[in-house]
Amino acid sequence: MLIVIVDDEESVRTGLRRLCVSLGLRASVHASGSEFLDSLAAGAAPPNCLLLDAHMPHMSGLEVQRHLVDAGLKIPTIVYTADDAPEAEARYVAAGVTAYLRKPIAGDELLAAIEQVMTQTHPTPVDQRPPAVPPRLV
Amino acid sequence: MGGYGTRSEAVDAGLTNTVAPTVIGRSGFTVRVHECPDRWDLRLARLSAAPLAEGPMPAGQAGATLLRVLGNRSRSTSPHSNESWRRSNRSTTRQFPRGRAPEAGAGSHPLALGLLLFLPVALLGNAIGSALRYPDVGAAVLFPPYAALTAALVVSSPRHWMWYILAGGVAHFVTHWPHWSVSWVLLADVANVARAITAAVLLRRLFNGPPRLDTLRSLAGFIGGAAVIAPAIGATIGAANVVLHGASPSYWQPWRAWFLSNALTGLTILPAFVLAVGNRARWRWPLANRSRTIEAVALTMAVIGTITLAFLVPPVGRWHVALHFYAPLPALIWAALRFGPGGASAALTATTLAAIWGADRSTGPFRASGIDIDVFALQLFVLLTTIPVLCIAAISTSRQRIVQLHRALLASVQDHIAILDGSGVVVEVNDGWLRFAERDDLASFRKAAVGDNYVAACRSAAEAGDGLAARVFDGVNGVLDGRDKRFEMEFDDDRNGRHDRYALSIEPLARLAGGAIVRRYDVTARHRAQLESEEQRRQLSHLARVTMLGQLSGALAHELNQPLAAIASNADAAQRLLGQHPTDYEELDAILGDIIASNHRASQVIRRLRAMLKRGEARLQPLDTAELVSEVLEMAHAELITRRVTATPVVAPNLPPVLGDRVQLQQVLLNLVLNACEAMASTPPPDRRLSMIVTADAIRNVQFSVRDSGTGIPAKLIDRLFEPFVTTKPEGLGLGLSISRTIVAAHGGRLWAQNNGDRGATVHCLLPSTLVEQDRSGTLGNGSAQHEALSRV
Repeated sequence: MLIVIVDDEESVRTGLRRLCVSLGLRASVHASGSEFLDSLAAGAAPPNCLLLDAHMPHMSGLEVQRHLVDAGLKIPTIVYTADDAPEAEARYVAAGVTAYLRKPIAGDELLAAIEQVMTQTHPTPVDQRPPAVPPRLV
Repeated sequence: MGGYGTRSEAVDAGLTNTVAPTVIGRSGFTVRVHECPDRWDLRLARLSAAPLAEGPMPAGQAGATLLRVLGNRSRSTSPHSNESWRRSNRSTTRQFPRGRAPEAGAGSHPLALGLLLFLPVALLGNAIGSALRYPDVGAAVLFPPYAALTAALVVSSPRHWMWYILAGGVAHFVTHWPHWSVSWVLLADVANVARAITAAVLLRRLFNGPPRLDTLRSLAGFIGGAAVIAPAIGATIGAANVVLHGASPSYWQPWRAWFLSNALTGLTILPAFVLAVGNRARWRWPLANRSRTIEAVALTMAVIGTITLAFLVPPVGRWHVALHFYAPLPALIWAALRFGPGGASAALTATTLAAIWGADRSTGPFRASGIDIDVFALQLFVLLTTIPVLCIAAISTSRQRIVQLHRALLASVQDHIAILDGSGVVVEVNDGWLRFAERDDLASFRKAAVGDNYVAACRSAAEAGDGLAARVFDGVNGVLDGRDKRFEMEFDDDRNGRHDRYALSIEPLARLAGGAIVRRYDVTARHRAQLESEEQRRQLSHLARVTMLGQLSGALAHELNQPLAAIASNADAAQRLLGQHPTDYEELDAILGDIIASNHRASQVIRRLRAMLKRGEARLQPLDTAELVSEVLEMAHAELITRRVTATPVVAPNLPPVLGDRVQLQQVLLNLVLNACEAMASTPPPDRRLSMIVTADAIRNVQFSVRDSGTGIPAKLIDRLFEPFVTTKPEGLGLGLSISRTIVAAHGGRLWAQNNGDRGATVHCLLPSTLVEQDRSGTLGNGSAQHEALSRV
């Protein structure tokens, strides 16, 4: 299960990657939408899920999504943003984004969103589901 | 009178220098009468009642001016405060057209009264004249009717002249007809009339009012008209008369006799009559003053005593001879100096009459023995005495008037004025200066009185540690040496709980011997207004800053959210990792490190925000140029993303630091960046390019240029872009750029804009670097001039 995280901010990228790893997911990061698209074009495997920062220079999350749609790639996409205007959500949904999260993102939230996204697009067989979260030691 | 000369020179020069509008010009002037308690001002009111256009002009200043004249009916209770002066502002304005005195009734007296006065005088005069006659020639030694008729014609209006001439003719006829033939009397009268008319016309033309002999020029004119030209004309006719009647073989002898006798009359009796009659309105004035009355009485006694001694007492011994000529002289000079032309001519008339009487009685140096040589000698004596004495009177009067005017000027000006000579010694101070010095303990140099050396006082105060005195010392020396045209500074007077501010200005005195004028004036009101406006400007600048931050609030929130999001993800991940076995301590360590770093970043954003929102005083420090740029771009980062603007910094290497206030310069650059973004709002996103280019120029100034690819500045706005309330935004206030310009100017820099060749515009901001400031002041210091300027922003 591969998640690709695209965010222009290094600390956010690293944080999210760590979070995904701690959730038991494989994650790789890209600093910009164009970097990600280039990597796809170069033959990288499309991820199972895409985590996109909405607010990026040069190519916003929305634009990345549109590029994917135009390329015919059906990758489940979660867009996250600090923007809490309701029309923003509508815009993203209209563009075909599967889920929409608000920063800062809690681990449970992310997991739930990923699950939702995964079940929506391809129903995964049980054994391929990510391992359950180990209980927290107190 | 010692030192008079020097003071007058200073006076003359000083009058050209005072900046306050108090020079008298030749054109019509307005006299405004205010209430004031000072008695100097009362004299000034009288002074201004006389036509000043006749007086000597303080060197070369033309144009209408205002002489503040202060006369008073009610006395104020606190005569020494400036407040009372300013509070009273009731004024009457009188308009004085050029050269004309307020009507002393010249020409407006009733004819009947005039004739009533004139006729007896004319009769008496004729009687005296015929008594003092040359035995052969028929011309009198003195001819009072000439004086009487001329005086009457001068002060009355021309339409009355017929009557006076007629009256004079009648008096003349009545006196002479029984003894002389009708034709002789008539022709003699024609000569008299011609003479009198000539004199009257010339005097009226010359003086435009009653004649006053208070300057050398007017005296010369008077003598020329009334003692030379008119008598010459009279003599021409009179001598012809004599020759026609066969009373003399030659023409020139009677001519000379007639001329001399009337010239003498013109020098003695005529001035006395004309001054007395022409100044009727002012007769009361000399007598109002008691000491003056006593002096007048003493003078009269002296004159009478000396002329008696000189001419009327029989000679006793040889030593008496010198007294004949010189005994009256001191009294005459006294009269000239203290009582002006009027007193002088009265005394001269008395002297002349005494000399003639003495000659008649054979006492004194002149004896009439039928030989007219002695008469000639007498006439010469009178001539040689009257002219110098009248000159003394004229010079003395004009000098006194200048001094009075000068004193009144200094007294009425509200500034505190001290006049220094070439070596810095105080020559004169005005009332304002003295009043200021009366206050309690002042620095000694501020109390400098006449005779003190101002420069030395400043120096000793400076050596004692008074910084202000040191500056004044430099300033005074600069002006006295001719290095500076003007020295100005302001200082505060915080004694007794007052918070007054004074400005001091020192200017050179325009005369060969050099010197300076020190002038202090109260600028408290102006200073207060200035402080208020500075405070308002500061508030406005702060407001602009806060507004700008408000516009950036979304971006700021985003800036904070990034580290917070990173912290959240990292912490969440760390918690989950803790539950895993084996625990990856290295990873945990890395995570915690990142959390700390993110926290650090967040607090930095908050710190910057707080600094921008504070409304403190400007703090100057050397600022790293590259850091400044990166900070500003960081602050604008999220906004740039939102607006889809690509920002590129282009910073030259090894730039010198800029001396300035961090927050204010950030405000300026941020303002420029945001403006650039606005300008590109209608540009398609891929073309929105902003570059911040920083370079240093040849003289080590640092130039920041914010270049955009937007719509450019409309041509009609490009000159006015930095004015307040000029904006291209429909909802904008238009204050950002004007405030930015004020900030940059306070830093000693320049802000300007130009359209790019291709598209968009560039705004340039030039700031001096610390190296430039170092060059200028020799130290890095705190750049005092800049600091002062900055504290106003």
